[in-house]
Amino acid sequence: MIIKASHIDKYFDQPERHQVLHGVSLEIAQGELVSIYGESGSGKSTLLYILSTLDTDFGGKLWIKDQNIKDVSAGDLTNFRNQHIGFVYQFHYLLPEFDVLQNIMLPAMKMGVKTKEQIKEDALLLLQEVGMQDFAKRPSYQLSGGQQQRVAIARALINNPDLIVADEPTGNLDQKNTEMVFDLLKKITEEKGKTVIMATHNSKIYQNSHRAIEMIDGSVRL
Amino acid sequence: MSTPIYSKTNLFIAWQYLSARKKQSFLAMLGVMLGVTTFIVMINFMTGVNDFLDDAVFNGSPDIIIASKTKAESSKQVFGNQLKTIVDVGSIDDLLSKNENVQSFAHQLITPAILVSSTTQLPGSINGVFPDQEQQMVDLERRLIEGNGFQSLLEENSIILGISLANRLKVSVGDELKMILPNGKNAKLKVSGIFSFGITTIDNVRTYFSASTLQKLLDQDQKITHVHVKLKDRDDVSLKHQIVEQIASIATEDWKDSNKTIVIGNKVRDILTWSVSFALLLVAGFGIFNILNITVIQKRKDIAVLKTMGYSSKDIVFIFLVQSLIIGLIGAVLGLLFAYVICYMISTTPLDTSDFIIVETYPINFKPIYFCMGFAFGVLTTILAGYMPSKKASKVDPVTIIRGL
Repeated sequence: MIIKASHIDKYFDQPERHQVLHGVSLEIAQGELVSIYGESGSGKSTLLYILSTLDTDFGGKLWIKDQNIKDVSAGDLTNFRNQHIGFVYQFHYLLPEFDVLQNIMLPAMKMGVKTKEQIKEDALLLLQEVGMQDFAKRPSYQLSGGQQQRVAIARALINNPDLIVADEPTGNLDQKNTEMVFDLLKKITEEKGKTVIMATHNSKIYQNSHRAIEMIDGSVRL
Repeated sequence: MSTPIYSKTNLFIAWQYLSARKKQSFLAMLGVMLGVTTFIVMINFMTGVNDFLDDAVFNGSPDIIIASKTKAESSKQVFGNQLKTIVDVGSIDDLLSKNENVQSFAHQLITPAILVSSTTQLPGSINGVFPDQEQQMVDLERRLIEGNGFQSLLEENSIILGISLANRLKVSVGDELKMILPNGKNAKLKVSGIFSFGITTIDNVRTYFSASTLQKLLDQDQKITHVHVKLKDRDDVSLKHQIVEQIASIATEDWKDSNKTIVIGNKVRDILTWSVSFALLLVAGFGIFNILNITVIQKRKDIAVLKTMGYSSKDIVFIFLVQSLIIGLIGAVLGLLFAYVICYMISTTPLDTSDFIIVETYPINFKPIYFCMGFAFGVLTTILAGYMPSKKASKVDPVTIIRGL
């Protein structure tokens, strides 16, 4: 199991204290493509942030790669994410000051294990995999939404993490690009053995995932 | 495993951010440059003027002058036969030799006289000095324009003149002069040196003459009119009161009394220099603060993304602080160069000679310490200005940013 979550509770204090997650427990195996769906406010994004270690202020227990997340200091958690988790967001969040290739290289440059040349090679290979090899030197803001999302996926993969967390990755895309991005995510689970967890509204996507988890009012529907 | 915060990667990111805002960064840098330049130029200029005045005044006049108490009625007798000689020279000498703040002191016999050259006659003040003593008091060698210093006074009837006086008498070194003393005695003199302190009030009237010769001419054997004192710490003039208390019928004057306008002028210039310089650096600092602050607000999402990627809060502080540091360093270096150019230009600008000061170009310092200070203050300002926005950036919480779309 790459993720083991046990009785996760989460409260928000704003605008008034209320519970958004009610004892959520779930397990996700390596290589799975898992969709979390549900209405707005059902808590799927909140759960996603907890499962991706961005939010550590929760009740219950969480293990990722057999590591109890509550035992890890904030600084080490940053490094943990850097090595083990790749992120894809609804709004692709490529950094406009950098070109496409540089955007992909940034997480690996932070990790600092490989040389810049090696990282560049890796990044170019990933660009090829997402079909964006011709755009390597383009400033990222010149790309269309679908193209940016493909670059964002390549960026999420640069440190070869086991886990990809995607928050509404197709929420901002048209039909054709949605399919392309979904196929890409599916491919990285099936060909590379990565685990993908994503929050989505799109029924076509969760129906075609390996597993679909429905959230209703902060609980997982079994 | 992860890279340290001062890694090339973070520098690279900082640089990309900076170069994405070339115009703003350039303006901020210009602000720092002007701040540093103004700081350096003003301080060098003002201290240059202060030093010049100090040098001219304090080298030309002693720190404390001790004279016999002049009574109101007798002050009218400018050309009277009587000289106000000091009665109790021995106890004054005693007191001065014991005081630790006294660097040196010298006896003088000062008298007004008329100087007559082949073309004209003018009043002057004859400072009868003892060459060996006076050498400890006044660095005349540095002030000499022509001829020789105090040692030339050992030759009988030699006189050293201020430049303005010499010019008006139309004499130069080697020429002859006649001196008419208040008691009616005449003496033939030979000009052995001409000096300039750069201050008209001195150069116009002062002459140096042998005190022992003057004593004979005035029939004042072993008598003197003044004792000049040079202090180790010029600001401590407590000695002045001590003398007045212990020795009767003695008047003293310190450098502050005799140079009130210059002392006040120096103070005002100091205050102006420092306040204006700091105000300018402050403005430059606000410029940087503003730019970084806006960037941080605009780039909150990017910062959040960097953080999810594995960049720590410290990385973020570094990335933003480096940006202000780069602006500050480049600005400060350019400021140094620019300041040097301006200082040089000022130092070569001819100054219209006023009546008070005689100087060819504007006095300005080129003190390395002021250049270092300007540089340090410039960089320090940018670090302080950059710190708050950087800290703010590091506090961005990725969850609230990504959720709060």
